[in-house]
Amino acid sequence: MIEIKHVYKRYYTHRATDWVLQDIDLTIPSGVSVGLVGGNGAGKSTLLRLIAGMDSPTRGEIKRHSSVSWPIGLAGGFQGSMTGRQNVKFVARVHGGHGNEAEIIRRVEAFAEIGPAFDQPIKTYSSGMRSRLNFGLSLAFDFDIYLSDEATSVGDRAFKAKASKAFKDKVGKASLIMVSHGVGVLRELCQAGIYLRDGRAHWYDDINDAIDAYHNDSDAHVLERKLHQLTNSKMTSLMQAQVFHQEAKAHFDSLQIALEQLPQDIQPRERQASVQAVNEARETLHGARRLVQKLK
Amino acid sequence: MASDMNGDMTPPSNHSSGNNKSGHKARSAWAVTRSVWFAMFMREAIGRTMTDRMGWFWMIAEPSLMLLVMIGIRSFIRGDKLIVNAPFIPWMLVGMMGFFLVREGLTQGSGAINANRALFAYRQVQPVDGVLIRNFLDGLLRTLIFLLFMLGALMLGTDFRPDSGFQAISGWLSLWALGLGFSLVVSVAGTLVPEVTKVVRMLSMPLLILSGVIMPLNHLPHYLLEYLMLNPIVHGLEYTRHGFFEGYKVVHGTSMLYFWSWTLGMLALGLLMHVRFKERLKAQ
Repeated sequence: MIEIKHVYKRYYTHRATDWVLQDIDLTIPSGVSVGLVGGNGAGKSTLLRLIAGMDSPTRGEIKRHSSVSWPIGLAGGFQGSMTGRQNVKFVARVHGGHGNEAEIIRRVEAFAEIGPAFDQPIKTYSSGMRSRLNFGLSLAFDFDIYLSDEATSVGDRAFKAKASKAFKDKVGKASLIMVSHGVGVLRELCQAGIYLRDGRAHWYDDINDAIDAYHNDSDAHVLERKLHQLTNSKMTSLMQAQVFHQEAKAHFDSLQIALEQLPQDIQPRERQASVQAVNEARETLHGARRLVQKLK
Repeated sequence: MASDMNGDMTPPSNHSSGNNKSGHKARSAWAVTRSVWFAMFMREAIGRTMTDRMGWFWMIAEPSLMLLVMIGIRSFIRGDKLIVNAPFIPWMLVGMMGFFLVREGLTQGSGAINANRALFAYRQVQPVDGVLIRNFLDGLLRTLIFLLFMLGALMLGTDFRPDSGFQAISGWLSLWALGLGFSLVVSVAGTLVPEVTKVVRMLSMPLLILSGVIMPLNHLPHYLLEYLMLNPIVHGLEYTRHGFFEGYKVVHGTSMLYFWSWTLGMLALGLLMHVRFKERLKAQ
């Protein structure tokens, strides 16, 4: 179980920057795998780093009641000038694997399947090889919760399948908190979802709902941006505006239907998200209508 | 640092400790720190000696070449009969080795954190660990090299045995501690404000002369000496030399009390800075 209590996070550069995360207040129960979704820069990796304890929140606190891995992914964790074997040895020692380093190394080597490259410096590795090694390394320890930051995104097909299988084998023993843009892998491995938007987190008991909310929002944003472009450009033709108007109308209709079809017993907070999405779509639609009339 | 070390695992009520093959039980803060130090020490030791081409060779060749050059210059400029009651070459060797011990702390400190940045992915590893380990390993290697030099000198027939072994060793360890203090302070300051590193690097050359490593300070006029003696390195070097050469006349005003005030002050300041800026050092 991980308790995240009113966590705020901002990074300091020369002057204070905006909040990356604002008032995140969640409890991630044990045994539930969670997918983190959100646009680029929404704070997914930051939240993951905070959960891992790599970084500490500006305000609030995070309590870890289980053993948590480091964020498995592309970034960091390896010293480039050292060989794969030496890095694995280092991590084994840090995690107190004193006395069974050899066993851990054997397990990692077997899982990563990078052959003789295991004894080459990490800086000569491709990103796929790095992620194989990082992934294999984390699996060599029995954590209660594994954190994954796009860990499998650069792997080839065979490796992705192997990684998914490895996690599925852990079901019941360990859970997963993962950041991914791959919808398939999220649906496959996670039960619950967290959708991060504008520094705030929305919890969904079903990962599909989180993904839907994210997709609705990002579709709306795409339309919004397009409207902005069309309005500001002098080259916009009536034809273009009409096509766009139809698009916006279709999007608005689909959202409204989705809202009407929401089950009655749904939580007010989740309903609120859909209502907001509809409202935003309506704004865009109105903007499109004004644009068409102006051009006529 | 200890309070965060046990971020590894809080004593869990619902912690499934079923088949934890890798010993993943809640470890004490000290146990975590110890395993981090062990792991970092092994990594650093291998990195320092094995990954460079002929790493071992240069470790010994660099100070010896430096020594040769210095001796060459000095005996060319003036005779080597300036130092009262101490043979010139051993006198300079002691000074140089001691000075390098401190200077290494000054210059390597700032790199210690950046070099270990990738390892902060593991929450058990703190910025201060890298600095401590690097300084420890560095001192260890320099001690070894110093002993090798002494052995070589003894085999060549010079009398390079310290007259007061205790004083020589404690002087050496004191210099080591001062280097560590500098290292802790510079590592934080240099990582947060990169300009500090440049200034420190610029300082290291004049310090070699100002600390009386090559030229004895005894002949300088009093009004100058008053300022030069503010530099703690001089005190440590003179004390160590006195340990080696019984009748050696140390520079007037040498005081180990002054030296240790500096050392303890730097150590305390450095550790405080590491506690205060830990998060920023990791986030940089």
